[in-house]
Amino acid sequence: MRAAWAITSTTVKQLLGVRRMIVFGLAELAPAGVFLLMTQTLAEEAALDRLLGMVAALYFPLLVPIVTLIVAASALGDERRDGTLSFLVLRPIPRSVVALSKSAGAVIVAAGLNALGALALSAVYAVETGSWSMVVPLVVGGVVASVVYAALFVPLGFFTDRAVLAGLAFVFIFENSVVSALSGLSSLSPWRIGLSAFAGLAPGEVATELADFGAASLSGSGAALFRTVLIAAISVGATTMVLRRRDLA
Amino acid sequence: MTANPALVESPTVELDDASKWFGQKVAVSNVTCSFGPGVTGLLGPNGAGKTTMLRMLTGLIRPSQGSVRVLGVWPRTSPSVYADVGLVPEEAAVYPSLTAREYVRYAATLSGIADVAEATDRAIDTVGLGGPADRKLAGYSKGMRQRAKVAAALVSDPQILLLDEPLNGTDPVQRLHLINLFQRLGAEGRTLIVSSHILDEVDRMSDRVIAIVDGRLAAAGDVAAIREAMTDIPYRVRIESDTGRVLAARLLEEALVHGVSVDDRILLVETSDLAALGRRVPAVAREVDARITSFQPEDASLESVFRYLVRR
Repeated sequence: MRAAWAITSTTVKQLLGVRRMIVFGLAELAPAGVFLLMTQTLAEEAALDRLLGMVAALYFPLLVPIVTLIVAASALGDERRDGTLSFLVLRPIPRSVVALSKSAGAVIVAAGLNALGALALSAVYAVETGSWSMVVPLVVGGVVASVVYAALFVPLGFFTDRAVLAGLAFVFIFENSVVSALSGLSSLSPWRIGLSAFAGLAPGEVATELADFGAASLSGSGAALFRTVLIAAISVGATTMVLRRRDLA
Repeated sequence: MTANPALVESPTVELDDASKWFGQKVAVSNVTCSFGPGVTGLLGPNGAGKTTMLRMLTGLIRPSQGSVRVLGVWPRTSPSVYADVGLVPEEAAVYPSLTAREYVRYAATLSGIADVAEATDRAIDTVGLGGPADRKLAGYSKGMRQRAKVAAALVSDPQILLLDEPLNGTDPVQRLHLINLFQRLGAEGRTLIVSSHILDEVDRMSDRVIAIVDGRLAAAGDVAAIREAMTDIPYRVRIESDTGRVLAARLLEEALVHGVSVDDRILLVETSDLAALGRRVPAVAREVDARITSFQPEDASLESVFRYLVRR
């Protein structure tokens, strides 16, 4: 337990570079800024429509995956590239602890950043409408999507030096093109899983409204959470297996 | 002692017919050897396969063929053995955002040490890194990073230490400190395997040498024994005398002398039996009334031995 916490906290420290935090922090606040501008310029549009437009077109499909990709791909990838992986694995601790702790560190940072974006968006919405009902659903949705993306991108970062490129291809070609065209594949899209969690927890009209933004096949928060746990468990299991079996230098 | 100089009597680390290839490239080929308490120098030119061999010993990479055992087990499947193994890798392998103290403390925590703070302080003191230990590793020189890595490897008080080019980047003072430390740890009964391509380092700190050339075990044992085993290469001895040519002519009559070249007062004598020549030369010199001012084996040093091994 002590080792797991040490790896997780060190991973968080590694991933929280000052420059990275400034860039990502500003990026996370950008949708809220745009939303705020829209309240001035598009005041005739319903606040909920504007919020959902930001959430379904910018926050979930772009911001969450890109931020999580860069953070998560570094978690194990940097250890491999910098030669510090031997420092971690040549210890009397199971490889599963290494895999789980590195993933947990990536999730904490990515989910924290994405939760900031969700909080900012829902805060602007609350200021405009007086309703804080979107805060928890949006934060949970962002965290869920972060966990699923991290589950994919932590092992990806370990496998290839071009993880960011491969991750962007996954997000833009597979998720935002292929899955958009073939809605039957939506359960394989992390940001749609996050969006489902958000829609399932948000007030009733949100799910209906989201259909207008091309998010027709949402699965509900229960299914989203189940998928998230399943994907995360598979990811940790697969990473553990790779750390056990693959040559690590 | 065992008959095979590559094997030791009470091994803690063993390779049995171990090979490793990466695609078409063979990095280590059919190496059988073992290591026990004391300092063993793993010697070889750059690219000889030393690092691959050390990585196999730690379980970082698995042998393509053969087996590796550390304290009787294959480490990859028995991670508990890592409590007794410390590795100082050749590459940077430090976290620049941590201070040296945090780095060593991290190693102690991951190694399951009970009193992390005490073990950390002790390891830092052992490598003489006390003052700058609270500075970030990003600002460290290569030599200081090496010492931080050694401290992290030592923090769990391991029985086996694998050191890959540990003196790289160290200044002469740091180098001397680390060599003394390694010798002390070896004398305490720990197994130290120190890889290096710098002959002088290996010569100074090792009780025993395992020489790797082109991925193969080229020689094993102490330097004198390895040189002695090279029966196809005669020893070369540099003798200085006041009567060079007379002494050379007389020495050529000796059966144990294979050849002599003379340059004024200096003779280069080739012999298959260095000890016998050492005993015979004074008598021969007396016969021809020559005065010997110097008798110096030219190629019994580790450097010469290694040069022969690489050339073979």
